[in-house]
Formats: sequence, structure tokens, C-alpha cells
Amino acid sequence: MQATSITPDAPIRFSVLHRLLHLVVMFGFTGLAVTGLSLGLSSTAPARGFMWLIGGASHAAWLHRCCAVVTYGCVVIHAFWFLYYKFGLAGAWTGPDSIVPSLKDLKDFKHHLAYFFGLEKTPPRFDKFSYMEKIEYWALFIGMNTMGITGLVLWYPECFTRYLPGFFVNLAQVLHFYEALLAIVVKFFIHIGMVHFRPEIYPADTSIFTGRSHTE
Amino acid sequence: MSAKGWMGTAIAGAVIILMGLAGLSLVSAETDALETGKPVCLDCHRQPNIHTNEGVATANAFCNGCHAKPECRRTVDGKAVSLQVPVSAAKENPHHYSACIQCHTDVARSPHKSQTGAQCRVCHSVHGEGTAHAPHLRVDCQACHFKSKFVELDPKNSNVKLAHIDLESKPISLADHTLTDVNDLKSCEKCHFSDNRIGAPAAVLPSKSALCILCHNSPLSMGHPIFGAAFFIFLVGVLATLRFWYLGSVHGEENSLHRKISLSSETIWNIIFSRQIFSLLKMAVLDIIFQRRILKESVGRWSMHSLIFTAILIRFLLSLFTAVIFYFHPNGDWAPALIDKNSPFTAFTNDLLGLFILLGILWAVVQRFIIKPVHVATEKQDNIALLIIGTLILLGFFLEGARILVTGIPAEMAGYSFIGYPLSKILSIFGLSWKSIYPYMWYAHGIVGALFVAYLPFGKMRHIFNTPLTYILEEVSGVRKEKRI
Repeated sequence: MQATSITPDAPIRFSVLHRLLHLVVMFGFTGLAVTGLSLGLSSTAPARGFMWLIGGASHAAWLHRCCAVVTYGCVVIHAFWFLYYKFGLAGAWTGPDSIVPSLKDLKDFKHHLAYFFGLEKTPPRFDKFSYMEKIEYWALFIGMNTMGITGLVLWYPECFTRYLPGFFVNLAQVLHFYEALLAIVVKFFIHIGMVHFRPEIYPADTSIFTGRSHTE
Repeated sequence: MSAKGWMGTAIAGAVIILMGLAGLSLVSAETDALETGKPVCLDCHRQPNIHTNEGVATANAFCNGCHAKPECRRTVDGKAVSLQVPVSAAKENPHHYSACIQCHTDVARSPHKSQTGAQCRVCHSVHGEGTAHAPHLRVDCQACHFKSKFVELDPKNSNVKLAHIDLESKPISLADHTLTDVNDLKSCEKCHFSDNRIGAPAAVLPSKSALCILCHNSPLSMGHPIFGAAFFIFLVGVLATLRFWYLGSVHGEENSLHRKISLSSETIWNIIFSRQIFSLLKMAVLDIIFQRRILKESVGRWSMHSLIFTAILIRFLLSLFTAVIFYFHPNGDWAPALIDKNSPFTAFTNDLLGLFILLGILWAVVQRFIIKPVHVATEKQDNIALLIIGTLILLGFFLEGARILVTGIPAEMAGYSFIGYPLSKILSIFGLSWKSIYPYMWYAHGIVGALFVAYLPFGKMRHIFNTPLTYILEEVSGVRKEKRI
């Protein structure tokens, strides 16, 4: 049986947990984007078409919250995994395998720019995660939490305005909308560009689905 | 004057008249024309927009024109009953900002008399199983939520409602709008005491538990500490089993639990995303849901096992379906029919499936203790499992009978419970105080149910998880066992 042929030494980049989280977030995020854009830009024709399809704004709101709970649940699980990695597996939060930014990233960035302008013959050798992936990861990590917190304020305004002034709800609305646009643009242009259209991995980097660091 | 000029004058005139009328009605609402004896048509014949604060204030000012005054009363059996709505009660009421006619939907007409009473369900939906047991579908909202202690059983539809008379049959006023703190379980005791006349059990019972979803529509809470304890034991059993499984080596890994879990999850991931998943799914449907392997061995054994297994599975799926339907459309057509134990479909289905389980258990008992064929090796664990499920079902049926007897549901409605209703008739022969016995029966059924859940990962019933898992592992590793014992 082919599945059992994995040797314990096979180079695995993403564990099953991370593959699963990515898969869930992939659908959760798309759902959030579609329903959220339809709610935020509700007067446009595509939004109206989508609303017609799913049965109105209240259903869109419900779906949006469902996707939000699932997606943010993944963020929480991911945060717990970080703790488990450090304390359960005694792993290091820094070093070549880490997602945490380091000085080497600055050097890599300089090196990479030099390579683009022909000043270096070879591109830099990245660690497990390149500086681009790190920027993307942390932008998304901060963005997910911003979206989560502002989304909660919009979901339970009565609860939050017991402790916060009323304009925080307006603030949350503005932040939620523009952070969403930013996240969608980053996801659908930069992320998809990076995992599909880089020359080394075109047509797709499948490592997040297969777990292996190179395609077979 | 030109035609245009005439039209302009006419419109201006109409606007002035309309403004005058509007002004008149606004002023008259303040001065209360009804009391001065000179009502103006628009005092009554208008429809304030009760979705605005202004409309609510206007509508309520009109009602308060009479109902705020102490002399507002009616005469019942020669006794004056106050219809004055106390101002203090209205202020403390959460409905303070709602119009009277929002709830009292049919009073704004002539004659000024309500046929339906206040309508809560215009805005609110019915409670779920966690807030109040399903029988409370036959209790008016006001009976629990209002302060009045006097309740009665409506002979027309056997619903429990607030009474207009006290215990000495003297008429009482229901104009006090103060709501009861229903979170205080003491408020339940206005019905739930031993000598009540409305068919309520003598004790306040806890809600069902999430564990009960195996057979019943259930809330998402633990309900009672015994269910919490059962769930804890269940979890400990599951974890102990998992730990036992991971004592062995996985793909040659002996020590690290992390590596073992990584390797086994890797295998599962690779199987899910391979063509093999289709043959696994096919096997799951045929061998696990339809129990093909047992059928190959013996039609009799398959029938016996399916009576128990399929009936429990259908009740479980039906409970899940009910939970989903109730979540999305609590006021739709389906949810009340599914959560109401007395509705024809639910009553009949639950009794039928319960009967199937009981027949399967009886069949197994007969096989084990009377026929004793060669393949039956009677073990203690098998007998315990049969005892628990059999007791659970029997207690369930008797509990249902007692419920029908105590709540006094008429035969034309209760008849769909084709086992529960005859049982209620049999129970009624014994002149016992079933109101007081019912809570003990409920706890007995609940404790055996908790025992069932707690016992799942330990005894014979572990096969519910082990056997499908074995089938899957056999399919994955290519082992074909012709005969299993």
C-alpha cells in the first residue's frame, strides 16, 4: 500500500495539522471574502446576484459568521500549536527553521535585490521560510486578529459599548472593511502569485497539500 | 385663473386641511377626547407607526387614556376587576418601549375585547429543550413569565394558561404586567408541586443533556451533574483506549508519541486524498451502515442486530436533524412538529424505533439464554450491555406512559404514541400519585442513560467504535477476513 511507504525520514515541510488548517482556512477565507464583499459592496450587480442566490443579506451575514468562527478557530489552534511546539516538543522559536524574522532576512533581501539588478550571480539561499513568506505570514497573522476583534465588536456591539465609547463601533466598521480589502488583495494577488507563478514552482507549489518540500 | 393655478390652490387647501387634522389628532391624544365625551373620528381610526418611538408613544398614550386610571375596571360576576395597568410595572417591564398593540394585537377594534390575549410569538420564538422541557409547548408563555400564581388547564386544548379566577373561583385582575424572574427555579413551583391541578410533575426536573442526543432532541448543555460525570468517564475511557493503541509502534517508531501521531495522521491524510477513499466509503456504507458482513453470516443475526443498531442510528440522526431545523427555523412548520413529543410524526416514530430496539434486545436475550446456539458465547460483558439498553428502553416507555397520564393529554392526540398511550392506561389502573412518581422515573431513565454513555468505551459497546475501525484497517492493509468471530 503506497500510503504506508512513508519512511520516518521523509522530508516533511508541513505536518498534517498545518495542511488541514490551510485547507480549512482556504475555504473559510474564500467564504468570508465572498459574503463579506457582497455585504460591504451590496449595491453592485455581482453582490446582488450572490444575495439572490443565497437568499438575502441575513443569510450572507449568517454564512459570514460561520466562516469567521471556523477561520478564527484555525488561528486559535495555530497559536496553541506554537505553544506546543515550544513547550511540548522543546522546539526553538528562532533559528533557520523558524518563521520569526531574523537579521538573515535583511541580508537575504539585500542579496535578492542585488540579484534582480544583476549585481549577484545567484539568488540567495533562504532558510526554511523566505523573507517574503515571513512578511506574508505575519501580515496575515496580525490581519486575522484585527479582523477577528473588529468583527466581534460588530457582531456584539451592545456588549462592547458597555466598556468602550460608541465610536469604536464605527471605527471597527472602517477597520474591518479596509483590512478586509487589504487581506483579499494580498491573498488573491501576492499569495497566489507567490505560490503559483514563481518560475521555480510553476504551475503550483503543492507542498501545503502533500506536506513534502518538493513536488514528486 | 389658469388650470395650473386652480390645481395649486386645491393642493394647498388639501395640505392645510390635512395638517389641521393631524394637529387635531396629536392634540387630542394629549387631552384625551374620549374622557371629555367628545371623541373625534381620528382618535381611534388611525394607525400610528409602532416601529418608531413617536408611534409607540402615541399609541400607548391612547391606551393609557383609560388604562392608567384607577376607575378603569370591568365587572365579572358582580365583582369589579381592575384593568388599570400600573405605571411602575410598565417602567420595570422590558417591553417598556413597545406599543401595547404590538402584543395585544386584536384589541384595536370594536368591540374592545381581546379574543387571543397578548401574542408573544409575534416577536419571540419558542424555547428549546435546554430552557424548558418539550411539554412546555403546551404551556402559555404568560403562565410562567407573569407573576400571577393562578394557573389552569384549558379544557378546549389542554394547554396550561393563566387563570382569570383564584383558588376560591373569585375573579382576579391580570393587569399587572410585572414579569417573573424565571431564572429563579422557585418560580417553577407555582405549577410543580404535588397537589397541582394542571398535570405538572411534582418536582422541577433538570433539562436533558447533550448526551441524550443519541436518542432525543437535546440542548447543548450538560443538564445535570450526573450527565457531566458520565461524560467525564466516557472521555477518560476514550483517552485510555487511544493511549493503549499508541503503546505499540507506528511504522517502526517506538518511543515518541509525537512521531507516532505524526506518522499515523500522515497515513490517514494520504488515504483520504487517494483513490482508495472510494473503496473505503463503499465499504463503510455496505459493511458498517448496512452490516453486510453480519448478513453474510446469518440473516437472523443481521435482523436482530439491525433492529437495535439501525433504530438507534435513525433516532440519533433524527435528533441531529431536529437540532438543525430548530436552530434555523424555530417558528417554521417543521420545528414544532419535531420537538413536540405529542405531534403525530414524532410520537409514532419514537415509539416505533423504541419498539424495534426492544424487540432486538429481546431476540438477543432469547438467543443467549434459551436457544443457546453454538456461536453464542455468553459473556458477562454482553449481558451487561443488553441489560443497560433493555432497561433504558423499558424505563423510557414507562416514563412516556406516565407523562401522558400525568399531563392528561387527550386520547385523540396521545394515541399516536401507540405504546406510551396503552401504558398510560395500564398505569392509571394503579391509583398511585403518578405526579410524585414521575420525577423518580425521569431520574431513573436519566441515570441509566448516563450509565449507557459512561459504559460505551469500556464494555461490549466498545464494538461500536472498534469494529468499524477494524474493518477500515483491514481494507487499508488489504487483509480480507472471510469469517470473523
